[in-house]
Amino acid sequence: MYGRVLGVTVMGVVGHVLTVEAHIGRGLPSLTMTGLPGASVQDARDRIRPAVESSGLEWPLRRVVVNLSPGNLRKEGPGFDLPIAMGVLAASKQVPAGNLGRYAFVGELTLDGSLTATPGILSMAIAASRRGLAGVVVPAANASEARLVDDLDVVATSSLREVVAFLRSGNRPVGPTPPVTTHGGDDGRSIDLREVRGQARARRALEVAAAGGHNLLLMGSPGAGKTMLARRLATILPDLTRAEALEVTQLHSIAGVLSSPGLVGERPFRSPHQSVSLAGLVGGGSSLLRPGEVSLAHHGVLFLDEVTEFRRDAVEGLRQALEDGRVVVTRAVGSVEYPARFTLVAAANPCPCGYAGDARRHCPCPPNRKQLYRQKLSGPLLDRIDLRLDVPRLSKGELLGESPGESSPAVRERVQIARERQRARYASIGVSCNGQLPGPLARRQARLSASAEALLAKAVESLALTGRGFDRALKVARTIADLAGAEQTGADHVAEALSYRSAFDAGDLARAG
Amino acid sequence: MRADTARAADGTDDAKQAIPENYPDGFAATAADRRALLVLSSLRGLTARRLLALSVSGPTASACLATIRRGAAGSESDRAFARRLDPDDVSSALEACGARSIAFDEPEYPRRLDGLKDPPAMLFVRGVDLREVDPVVAMVGARNCSPTGAEIARDIASGLAREGWWVVSGAARGIDAASHEGALEHERTVAVLGCGIDVTHRVAKRTLLGRIDRTGALVSEYPPGVPAEPFRFPARNRIVAGMAEALVVVEGAAGSGSLISADHAIDLGRHVFAVPGPVTSPLTHAPHELIREGAGLIRGPDDLLKDLGVSASGASRAALRSTRGLTPEEVRALDVLVTSMLPEVVAGKMGLTLPEAIALLTTLEIKGLVRNVGGRVEPVHVRAQA
Repeated sequence: MYGRVLGVTVMGVVGHVLTVEAHIGRGLPSLTMTGLPGASVQDARDRIRPAVESSGLEWPLRRVVVNLSPGNLRKEGPGFDLPIAMGVLAASKQVPAGNLGRYAFVGELTLDGSLTATPGILSMAIAASRRGLAGVVVPAANASEARLVDDLDVVATSSLREVVAFLRSGNRPVGPTPPVTTHGGDDGRSIDLREVRGQARARRALEVAAAGGHNLLLMGSPGAGKTMLARRLATILPDLTRAEALEVTQLHSIAGVLSSPGLVGERPFRSPHQSVSLAGLVGGGSSLLRPGEVSLAHHGVLFLDEVTEFRRDAVEGLRQALEDGRVVVTRAVGSVEYPARFTLVAAANPCPCGYAGDARRHCPCPPNRKQLYRQKLSGPLLDRIDLRLDVPRLSKGELLGESPGESSPAVRERVQIARERQRARYASIGVSCNGQLPGPLARRQARLSASAEALLAKAVESLALTGRGFDRALKVARTIADLAGAEQTGADHVAEALSYRSAFDAGDLARAG
Repeated sequence: MRADTARAADGTDDAKQAIPENYPDGFAATAADRRALLVLSSLRGLTARRLLALSVSGPTASACLATIRRGAAGSESDRAFARRLDPDDVSSALEACGARSIAFDEPEYPRRLDGLKDPPAMLFVRGVDLREVDPVVAMVGARNCSPTGAEIARDIASGLAREGWWVVSGAARGIDAASHEGALEHERTVAVLGCGIDVTHRVAKRTLLGRIDRTGALVSEYPPGVPAEPFRFPARNRIVAGMAEALVVVEGAAGSGSLISADHAIDLGRHVFAVPGPVTSPLTHAPHELIREGAGLIRGPDDLLKDLGVSASGASRAALRSTRGLTPEEVRALDVLVTSMLPEVVAGKMGLTLPEAIALLTTLEIKGLVRNVGGRVEPVHVRAQA
């Protein structure tokens, strides 16, 4: 007796539709699985029989062999419970074969036969749709995720019994069908740039960073407000497009961190702790591969607070993501790729005690310790941070005297327009914003006015600008010009761009010299 | 109270003995005595104060050395070292680094040091004859100074040196280094070391010390080979204060060594001057404390020269700030920027947008007229034009 159903596995962010075959033959009652099942799939073996029996169905007391094909892909995840159970039920003729070939089955079973939420449903639904299947049978908890895929029949079920009923009679389980929701969204935004008191220069830097997709280093004493500022960068980035939102939702679904069902509408803000491992930051794991923080921050903001305290290997691991907008994780179980295009915001104290350059507190750190501290921030990472900013600790008077600034939506509007300009200009060279321009291209695309060039030449001398510092200033100046709607990059734009340097640049000089 | 703590370091046993004001006549009269002093100066535990106490019982340096070698004075390790050390080795090491020794009764020995409670019995010197080093002002201050503090120190030192004054300081980083730098412009500076005369204890200082060595003088009470150790720095401070007829404190945090130097100067009856600053800055604690106690308040070299009885030459009164090559906007920004300010405050006062103000301030930064410290902009202290 033989049965055949379709399941889906996820490699990286891409779903693959697989065939689950079941054969019931003579022999002692047993369940054998072939076809490279991962540890989490092997785990399903003892779960499926109780689930089937609890649902009022019969488990064949014979030798059952289940094969997952193709056999060269490693299968991972608890989503195989349902297709394996269905394969066995199909082989024992307890469900009709009619619809079996047109639907993919996904879901984790409990011992009482109900279906629980399963990670990665969106990627699986996309795979099913690409394969041309009529629909997917998914746990009700994940249904709104699967419904994000157009023209796909989503059967939301809460138990194995309901799945069988659907196949036997075509009856869909009755239950509330929530509309496709976009959570987050404009009104749902809980934080706003307006809440930042004072720090006008830092707010301006956030706007420039958002407009040009530049990474940002915030340096300041404890209590200056670095974290508060970093959180608000995500609120002034342009709204997520639908394609971007789908990518973000996919990644969050796979990692199982989707906070509510439906499309993610807000740009993610991820703030991993200093103790994060390399695998935790860029993705990986030993058996079950999982996207890391860089991928969870895809299309959003990755915030590294106290960046000098992070493990060195973890910070070095960021380089590929910053360079290519993706990470490739290779392990014994295979190699997967996760998208990871994010804006990096790093925060650091200016020195070990944290008070160098502070107006009211004395910093006792000797220069050599300051130097050592600053060297902890690796050069290659620093090279990819275009904007560096000293964030001063404000006095009470400075905080209270300041009128509240603009709200996030007002700033976001300008950012959006500046981004449009860049997208139009760079359409032919495959980058979307100034922050992604490689150095030589930045020099060609800068369109400097004569006075701007004269100023830059002077700055190279008096500010001891390095080649890399020069390129960074060009890119940032171009963004400032885009924000101002200027065709040419003027001297004012260059001058402002040059102000986004910081004490960490001293390390820059040391390496150049 | 501060003076007490400064002196408490000299040990307790001395307190019981009567300590003479200075070394007895003929203490270093013979060549043998001078050779003995070379050894005595090398002993780690034998401070000038202890040597003075010892000179009561043995009226010559040779006698003091004999007492120590015999085991009747000094620490265990000093005795062992004193027995082992050959004075000829010390002299050849001195020769190797181009230094000379000056005993307290020689003509080159600065007579101002006699006023100290514990003058060094012997000094080691490289560079110009110390008799030429006159008149002298000492400058001290914080090692972790602010950029403005360094500029002011440099400015004062340069102004003094131009008028023919010598500037003596302690060769540390920060205010010390800035003072030396300023005075080096007119080649009139002396560095007092807290280590052996041959040791330049920090590599970064090598060039500064090298230049002082070539044009001025290096002074130490320690012969070659003595390493820099923290306990020697307060001892060095008394020589810095003692060599000069006036002392200037530029910046210093609470409890800083500058206050100890000032105490030495006060004890010696020297003039003390201090440069004020914002009361909110932790680095102005020492100068303000001294001003409250009666130190002269000086704002720059001209104030100091006036108080020292020398009127500044016309040159240093030249226009403080040249407005050549600046746009009217830039001049206005410099007028607004009287102290350290947030860029948005500058923008508000000038009626500019923030990006305009940032651009303007950065242009001034490129011209070297303002600087950014921790997110605030401050004017660079503009030096009196020579």
